[in-house]
Amino acid sequence: MLKLEGVETWYGAIQAIKGISLGVGQGEIVALLGANGAGKSTTIKTITGLLKATKGRIEFMGKDITGMEAEDIAEIGIACVPEGRRIFPGLTVTDNLLLGATSNKRASKEEIQRDLAHVFGIFPQLEQFKGRLGWQLSGGQLQMLAIGRGLMANSKILLLDEPSLGLAPVVVQEVFRVIKEINKAGTTILLVEQNARMALLIANRGFVLETGRMMLTDTAANLLANEEMKEHYLGAHAHIKEARQRRRDEKAGA
Amino acid sequence: MPTRIKRLLAPAVLVVAVLMLPRLVTSNYWKDLINLSISLAVACLGLNIVLGYAGQLSLAQAAFWGVGAYTSAILTTQFGLPVWAGMFAAFFVAAFFGILLGIPTLKLSGHYLAMATIGFGIILQLILVNAIWLTKGSDGITQIPSPWIGSFELKAPGDFYYVAALSLILFTWGAIHLKNSRVGRAFMAIRENEMAAGTAGVDTTYYKILAFALSAGYAGFGGWLFAHSCSHYISPDTFSFDQSVIMLVMAVLGGNGSAIGSIVGATLLTLLPEMLRFLKDSYMMFYAAGIVAIMIFMPSGIAGLVKSMPLSLRLRAWWNVDSTAARQVAAAAAAWENSGGKPNAFSIGDCPGSGETLLSVKGLAKHFGGLKAVDGVDMEVRRGEIQALIGPNGSGKTTILNMLSGLYVPTAGEILLEGRAISGQKSHYITSRGMARTFQNIRLFGELSVLENVLIGQHGHTRSGLLTSILQPPSQKAEEAGMRKKALEMLAFVGLKGKEFATANSLPYGQQRLLELARALASDPKLLLLDEPAAGLNAAETEALVELLFQICDRGITILLVEHDMSLVMNVSDHITVLNFGRKIAEGPAEVVEKNPEVIDAYLGREVSNA
Amino acid sequence: MDWSTNLQMLAAGLAMGSIYALVALGFVLIFNAVNVVNFAQGEFAMVPAFVTVWLLSRLNIPFALACVITVIFMGVFGIVFERIAYYPLRHRSFLPVVISTIGVGIFLKNGVQIIFGAEPLSMPRPSPATALNTLGVFVDPQYVVIILCTLALLGFQYFFFEKTMLGKKMLATAQDKEMARLLGIRVAKMIAITFAYSSILGAAAGILVGPIFFVTKDMGAMIGLKAFCSAILGGFGSVPGAILGGIFLGVIEVFASYYISSAYRDAFAFIILILVLLLRPQGFFGEKIAEKA
Repeated sequence: MLKLEGVETWYGAIQAIKGISLGVGQGEIVALLGANGAGKSTTIKTITGLLKATKGRIEFMGKDITGMEAEDIAEIGIACVPEGRRIFPGLTVTDNLLLGATSNKRASKEEIQRDLAHVFGIFPQLEQFKGRLGWQLSGGQLQMLAIGRGLMANSKILLLDEPSLGLAPVVVQEVFRVIKEINKAGTTILLVEQNARMALLIANRGFVLETGRMMLTDTAANLLANEEMKEHYLGAHAHIKEARQRRRDEKAGA
Repeated sequence: MPTRIKRLLAPAVLVVAVLMLPRLVTSNYWKDLINLSISLAVACLGLNIVLGYAGQLSLAQAAFWGVGAYTSAILTTQFGLPVWAGMFAAFFVAAFFGILLGIPTLKLSGHYLAMATIGFGIILQLILVNAIWLTKGSDGITQIPSPWIGSFELKAPGDFYYVAALSLILFTWGAIHLKNSRVGRAFMAIRENEMAAGTAGVDTTYYKILAFALSAGYAGFGGWLFAHSCSHYISPDTFSFDQSVIMLVMAVLGGNGSAIGSIVGATLLTLLPEMLRFLKDSYMMFYAAGIVAIMIFMPSGIAGLVKSMPLSLRLRAWWNVDSTAARQVAAAAAAWENSGGKPNAFSIGDCPGSGETLLSVKGLAKHFGGLKAVDGVDMEVRRGEIQALIGPNGSGKTTILNMLSGLYVPTAGEILLEGRAISGQKSHYITSRGMARTFQNIRLFGELSVLENVLIGQHGHTRSGLLTSILQPPSQKAEEAGMRKKALEMLAFVGLKGKEFATANSLPYGQQRLLELARALASDPKLLLLDEPAAGLNAAETEALVELLFQICDRGITILLVEHDMSLVMNVSDHITVLNFGRKIAEGPAEVVEKNPEVIDAYLGREVSNA
Repeated sequence: MDWSTNLQMLAAGLAMGSIYALVALGFVLIFNAVNVVNFAQGEFAMVPAFVTVWLLSRLNIPFALACVITVIFMGVFGIVFERIAYYPLRHRSFLPVVISTIGVGIFLKNGVQIIFGAEPLSMPRPSPATALNTLGVFVDPQYVVIILCTLALLGFQYFFFEKTMLGKKMLATAQDKEMARLLGIRVAKMIAITFAYSSILGAAAGILVGPIFFVTKDMGAMIGLKAFCSAILGGFGSVPGAILGGIFLGVIEVFASYYISSAYRDAFAFIILILVLLLRPQGFFGEKIAEKA
């Protein structure tokens, strides 16, 4: 459904991603993992059109979308729940949700109301607070609202950027349960996460990024069992290990 | 052409031009206009100091111009003081008002600052209109006397012109000297990045007020020139917000930051209306449209345009070859080659690893409203070690660095550097106590050269004040030479030899990081705080960074670094402190920390089971 | 204590305050949308005043129609302004944009002078010229017109932003431009509409205040600066803040110039501004802005 080939993107003066290729099939949950600064968010921003790829190609449902504007990408069926939620703080829960349906151009008023009811069904807490303003919500409620807003677009694929960030463990549990449920109901999901373990528990496949490059890719189960994963997150790399050894020797010798 | 003759060329041309002008311009009307342009030019030079050098948008310059004019007019007409006394009074009274404006506006920037200065200017003008007992209000002050030299009265515009021209030359000379001095660099550091200026050792409060005072003083002097020439009459209408706007346009048209540019801008915009009289009423519309067009197409003004012309580039090359700075850099390069290319040791202290506590943190906390970013952290950094502070996103690492370097005031807890409490102190004070830092999102003085960036790092250890920076006596020149020598050593040490005159912004990312490091090292720190020094570096650059860190440590400088790159952290640190959710969850050497289950969970994520 | 005088002044203060509020709103809406302070906002009130006078006096068009034409004119004006003064400089730093808007202000002031001449013009009143007498208080009916019209306009605005999808899209754009784009909201269009609406607010201010003073090319300058003070007083970026700030300033100005000094009438706005910037820079409703290291 979604394919990236050899994509490179610059973020200011830094080349944040240096030739990434990945694919997401219909109905899958694919996890995009990696340590902080690996380039995960930049990849999402490139797909959604906020950043433009300098090289490579992005294909969605067979159509080349490289270089398209963000508003247009939203309209062709890619919805995004961005890092940090980015709920409109001065608007109510209901308004935030209704705005999520902006890209769903063909829907009638009734269909949007039905979608709204559907979202309230998944997140009953949101219906309770539907008149509350964005800035009045807690972290967990914000995340639910952001996901709900993403659902309102009735998109073919939903991109989630670090949904667990800053949330208490028990809320994280709930968030991932909901993501699994949404996927079962038919939405394809590309999930960017720092919490690799939780992501791999619900994903079909995973890609591991490191300093802008694709390092590992495998089924979720295999990745969970993979010792190499630990190295990419908490690891020690050979040439730096040597430098340290040299220094230790020098100190010992002196 | 020998250097000595080159040096005398510019002043000689200038003297000839100044002396010739009255012969070429014969009508009194035009001579008056020239005197007016000079008076405005001096005011614009002042605006250039506060806006062009220090980056503070002041829209009150016409008010200070008025303060100077009125001070001298009142003293000479009502109190009979000689005009030369009025000159000094104009400068200093206006400077005083500049201080009055600078103090309350310290925390303001951007449009808030602009509005505050506008308000100040309007209030001053209203006082001029309404304090009739002093200023004669809207009637204005008439018959303002001309200055006397001995028994000769400088009444004719052509005679007053010499006073005006001489003052302009002196004030310009002062402004140009200022730009290339310790005080000027402090101004520009504030303009480029106020936060980094503070951590580099610049007392931003003092220098901002100084900039306002100095620029107001310039404007006041310009007002003196205006009052005692032209029509020998002043009234409050002249010193309006509109006039401040015109001065702003003159300065920006000439080129923000260029002293000569201000003069060109002022002259052009004073004389142009005369030459465009045929446009009559629509003149102002063309003027305004021109302003917008200049902003769109020529944002660096005339100075910027001239700088980029090939002819001027060649002239500069011919001129620069023998400049002091260039010669020193060349000499240092030669010495470098001769000594075989090894970096000179700049020893701070003796052998590293003496083990005593350098930095001690107890119960440190920072609350932002309800958010507890840092929630009671104890830490110790021992002299000579490399310690890393790590933790997942949002764990409070950068907040702690900000509290250590004086950018945040801690909500609770204490910080002791070498036993002295520094919590809550200003960053330039902390830097002078021996703690320097780099930033996660690089904070360089972008438009300044590589060399200037490192020179500013030495601000706290050098002495030149305003007067010495302007007059540049031999003692100041010696200090500057010493600073340059040290800066060149720093740059060579980090590997930026040969890039001294490049603009900081033009460097590739990895070299910008090195430059920030050089600037931090230039302040002779005992403790170096590094905020994600490896962010955005590739493998080769990271390796070079590691080597550099070891060398820094060998020179006796203690390092505390915040990093995400685990390979760097695990292999470089002697000691690691791990944070999560604002609290310390583990500490110890690398081998211990990397096996700690709580640490592993914090990074890889805890598996929360579905009950 | 002369209550009737005080009530008269209160009416005048509320009226002028309403004018400041309208112009301040214009400032704040543009600022929220594109982070730019429009130093020509005062001229956004001055230009429509001239247009209205011309329509009424020279072309003898009935008042209501003249208002409609002026409003439409200003709407278009706002969109053109956005393209010429803002769009080319949208990525630049603060100073070029400030100077550019100042430049446009000067252009408009002098353009108006060329088209309409330098003489102050007098705008025909929509309201009767004799003072209303309620409870012994003599109030200029135009004050009442100003206050009522401002209330109506604010009511319409409230309805627009709270109840229509377009209004919500504009609010969303102002609160988080990038997120709005991610949802498919056409941000460029929203910005154009913001400028158009801000100009229409200026039109309202100009038409309402025109009959009270003479219509001159300089009338916009002081109104603009004081409206800016109002916005800062209310908390720059806050819509209710701009409104309250404007009214507050209008009332204080009238009372201060009566009880303290009428010569310094214009100074009070700026004295209050400087006090606010010193003591509580975020104003009534604004948020503290801290720089991240």
